[in-house]
Amino acid sequence: MSDTKDATLTPEVRQLHKGLDEVWGNPKGLRALTVVNHTTIGLRFMVTGAIFFLIGGLLAMLIRTQLAFPDNDFMSPEIYNQVFTMHGTVMMFLFAIPILEGLAIYMIPKMIGARDLVCPRLTAFGYFCYLFGGIILASSMILEIAPASGWFMYTPLSSGEYSPGPGSDFWLLGITFVEISALSAGVELVVSILRTRTQGMALHKMPLFAWYILAMALMIVVGFPPLILGSILLELERAAGMPFFEVAGGGDPVLWAHLFWLFGHPEVYIIFLPGAGIVSTLIPVFAGRPIVGYGWVVAAIIIMGFVSFGLWVHHMFTLGIPQLALAFFSAASMLVAIPTAIQIFVWLSTLWLGRPRMSLPMLWIIGFLVIFVLGGLTGVMLALVPFNWQVHDTHFVVAHMHYVLVGGMLFPLMAGLYYWLPQVSGRMPSERLGKWSFWLIFLGFNVTFLVMHWTGLLGMRRRVFTYDTAMGWDIYNLISSVGGFMMSAGVALLILDIALHFRFGRKAPQNPWGADTLEWAMPKPPTAYNFVSLPKVETRHPLWEQPELSRTIYEGRHGLNTIHHGRRETWGSDALTGKLRETIHLPTNSWWPLFASLALAVVCISLLVRVYWLAAVVALVAVVLLLRWSWENGVHPNVDPEASREPSDPPLHYHTMNGPGVWCMSVSHLANGSLYLSLLFGWFYLWTVAPQWQMPETSPLSMPLLVGAGAALTLGTLLLRKLVNGLRRGEGAGLGLSMYGAGGLGTLQTLLIIAVMWLAELSPTENAHDATLFVALCYVLILSSLGAVLCILQGLRVGYGYVSVELPMEPVVVVRLWYYNLVVYWSLFVAIWVMPTLLGGGA
Amino acid sequence: MRQLLRLTHPIHLVGGLTIWGVWFVAIYAGLSIACSIAPPDPESDMFTGINLGVGLATLVFTALLLWLAWASVKAARKAEVRRDCYFAFISAGVYLFSAGGTLFVGYPVVVLPPCL
Repeated sequence: MSDTKDATLTPEVRQLHKGLDEVWGNPKGLRALTVVNHTTIGLRFMVTGAIFFLIGGLLAMLIRTQLAFPDNDFMSPEIYNQVFTMHGTVMMFLFAIPILEGLAIYMIPKMIGARDLVCPRLTAFGYFCYLFGGIILASSMILEIAPASGWFMYTPLSSGEYSPGPGSDFWLLGITFVEISALSAGVELVVSILRTRTQGMALHKMPLFAWYILAMALMIVVGFPPLILGSILLELERAAGMPFFEVAGGGDPVLWAHLFWLFGHPEVYIIFLPGAGIVSTLIPVFAGRPIVGYGWVVAAIIIMGFVSFGLWVHHMFTLGIPQLALAFFSAASMLVAIPTAIQIFVWLSTLWLGRPRMSLPMLWIIGFLVIFVLGGLTGVMLALVPFNWQVHDTHFVVAHMHYVLVGGMLFPLMAGLYYWLPQVSGRMPSERLGKWSFWLIFLGFNVTFLVMHWTGLLGMRRRVFTYDTAMGWDIYNLISSVGGFMMSAGVALLILDIALHFRFGRKAPQNPWGADTLEWAMPKPPTAYNFVSLPKVETRHPLWEQPELSRTIYEGRHGLNTIHHGRRETWGSDALTGKLRETIHLPTNSWWPLFASLALAVVCISLLVRVYWLAAVVALVAVVLLLRWSWENGVHPNVDPEASREPSDPPLHYHTMNGPGVWCMSVSHLANGSLYLSLLFGWFYLWTVAPQWQMPETSPLSMPLLVGAGAALTLGTLLLRKLVNGLRRGEGAGLGLSMYGAGGLGTLQTLLIIAVMWLAELSPTENAHDATLFVALCYVLILSSLGAVLCILQGLRVGYGYVSVELPMEPVVVVRLWYYNLVVYWSLFVAIWVMPTLLGGGA
Repeated sequence: MRQLLRLTHPIHLVGGLTIWGVWFVAIYAGLSIACSIAPPDPESDMFTGINLGVGLATLVFTALLLWLAWASVKAARKAEVRRDCYFAFISAGVYLFSAGGTLFVGYPVVVLPPCL
C-alpha cells in the first residue's frame, strides 16, 4: 500500500498496523528458523522446489548428452541408471509436488481472506521434513550411491537381491520422509479451505483455485499412503528380510506395482489440478469476464479427482492381467478425458466470449493449451490396450508423460509465476526477457519431445543408456538433445528475468492485471498477517464488484480489527455457508517443528546406515518432542498468555466443540484409513494371488487375547463417548478421572496386543503371511498406544485447567481417534483371524 | 445426519462417484477373486456366471445412479435457496456422469471372457 494511503490513516489505525506487525512479524537471525507464517513458509517451499528443479534439469541434460549420439560413452551404464532414476524422482517428488504445495500454502489464505493456514506449525514442520528428506535423497548422488531402479522402483529390481547397495534405501526412506510433508500440507489445506474462509464466502462462491487445491489436497491425503505403505514394506524386506515381494517367501512383486501406481496415477492429477487451477484463475482475468460455467468446472474437478483413482492398472497393462480387467481400466482411462475436455471447452469459451489481453502470463497459458491437448490425445491412445502394448516402455511413453506433466504443470506454473510475481515483490517482470524465455522453452520443449514420439514408435526403449547406429535412431535423438539444450537456455533466461526484476522491475500498481480475487487487495509485498481487517465477501469476484476493498481493508474497516489481546487470529467459518462460527487462535513462532523434523531426519539417517538402536532411541525422542509440541495448545500460557477463558462472540475456537483441530483429526483419518486399506489390500492380494502364499491351518493369534484387547478398546471408546456427550450438555464431573480411565483401558489394549504378538511366535522373515500379520499388529499397537497416551495427557491437562466444560474441544479430537481405532481393530480382527479361521488353510 | 441425505447437501457432489468407486472396486476385486478361486471353462467365452454377475451389478448400479440423478434434478427445482439449487444441479450432473461411467466401464462383460 502506498505511503499516501499511510498518511491518511487515523492514529488508531496506525496503532492497529503497528500492533499487527508486532504480533505477526517474522524474527530475524537464527530465530528465522522458528517462523511459521504461511507466506514465508510458502516461499521457502517454492524456492527449495525451484532449486530441485534446476538439479532435476541438470540431470535431464546429462541424459540428453548421453543419448545425443549412438554408442556414446559419456556416462557408464551404472551412472546413467542413477541419473535417470534421480531425474524422475527429483522432478516428481522434490520439485512438482512441493512447489505446487508451496504455491497453495502461499496463496490460499490470501485468496480466501484468511490471515494464515489453520495449523501454521504443521506448515513449518512439513517444510523441514521436505528439506531434510530432499537433502538426504540428493546426497546419494554426490556419494554415487543413488537409487538406480527407475523412479517407480519396481521390485524385484529394487529388492535386496538385485540392488544390494544403499541406493534403494535412500529412495524409500527419503521419499517417505518427504511424503510426511505432503500429507501435513494436504491435511491443513483441506481444513483451511473448508473452515477459514472469510465471512460470507460460501462454498459455491469461493475462487476456483481453492476448489482445485481442495481436490489436490484431498487426493494427496488419500493417494500418498499406499506408497508410504509400499515403501515401509519394501524397506522391511530389504533391511529385515520380510518377504512381501519375494515369490519364494509367499510374497508377490506385482503387489509393489499395485501399491506404487495406486499412488502414482493420482499423482499425475495431483500435479495437474493446481496447474489447471492457475489456468482457471488467469483466463477470466485476461479475458476480462467471469469464467463460463463455474459449476461445470467444479463438477469436472470432482470427477477428475475420483476417476483418477480408478486408472492405476493402465500402467500395468503388460503384467498379464486378464483382458476383461484390462478393459475396465482402459474404459476408465478414457472416461477421464471427459472432465478434462469440459475444462478445455470452458477455458476456450471464456476466451471466446471475453476480450483476451496477450500479456506475458497469457502466453504461457496458450503454450499450456497447445501442449496439454497434445499430451491428452496421446493419453487417450495409450489408454487403448493394444496400442499400449506396442509402445509400452518406449520413448513414446516418455514423450507423452512430458507433454502431460510439463504442459499440464510447468507451463501453468510459469504463467502463475509471472502473474503473481508483482504480488510477491511489488515489481513487474520484463515482458521482453519473459517472451524470449517463453519461446525458447516452448520451442525447445517441442523439439525435444515431439520428435521423441517417433523415436518411441521406432522402438527405442526408455531406459537404454545407449544404442547402435544401425537402429536408425541417431537423428531423432540428436534433435531431441538439441531441443533439450534450447529449453535449458530458456530456463536460464527465465531465472535471469526473475532475478533482475527484483532490482530493475518497475513498481507494480495495486492490481496490475485487473484481477478479481482477494490476494490483490493486500499490500505488496504482503504483510505477515495478510489483511489488516477481514472483509465480508459474498461474491465470486470481490475486487471487480467492490474495487474499494483494498483501501477499506487497509483502513481496518472490517472484521478482526483489534490486536490488543496479542493473539494471532483469523475467522473460523461454516464450511458450507461461510457464516462466522468462531475466532481461530493461531499458534505463533516455535522451535518445535524444527526440532521434531531434525529428530526424524536423524531417525532416517540411522536407518540408512543401519544403526537400528540409535533409530529406535531417536524415534522415541521424536515422539516426545511431538507430544511436547502438542502440549502447548489451547490456553497453555506459552500460547495464550492472557488465558482467554471468558466467553466472547464469536467464541475462540477452543471454547467450541467443532474447532479446526476436530476437522484436522478427521481429515488425518482419511490418510490413516487409506494406509490401512492399502494394508488390507496387500493382505487379501497376497492371500488370493501370490503363488507361494501359505495360510496355516489354524491362526497363530490367540483369539481370547485379541477379543480382550478389542473389549478394552470398545469400553474405552464408550467411556470417552459418554464423556464427550456430557461436555456437550455442559456436564464435566469426573472429566479427568474418565480420561485416566480411558487411558488405562488403552494401555490394557496395548499390553494385550503385545501379548498376542509374543505368544504367536511369528516368523516374519520366513514367510509373507507372518510378515503381514506382524505389520498389521504393529499398526494397531501404534494406534492403541497413541490413544492411551493422548487420554493420559488429557487427564493431566484437565488438572492444569487446559481442558474443562468451558474448554471442551480437545476431548472431541481424541474421541475421533478412538472411533477410528475401534473400526480398524475389529475390521482387522475379521480379516486376520475370523476369515482365515472360517476359510481355513486350504483357502 | 438426516441433512446429509438431502440431495441439496454438497456431500452429494461426491456421492455419485463414491458409488461408482464402490462398484468399480467390487467388480475388479470380485473378478480377481472369482478368477483365482473358480475360473470358468475358457470355452465358455463370455457366457459365464462371472460375466453375468458383473453385468447385473453394472445394471443395478447404473439404475441407482440414474435414479439419484433424476431425484437431484427434482430436488434442485424444488429448492428455495439458490445455494441448494446450485449444489443439487451439480450433483445431478455428477450422478449422471457416474451412471454413464458405470455402464461404459462395465460394457466389456458382453464381449470379453473373464479370466483370459
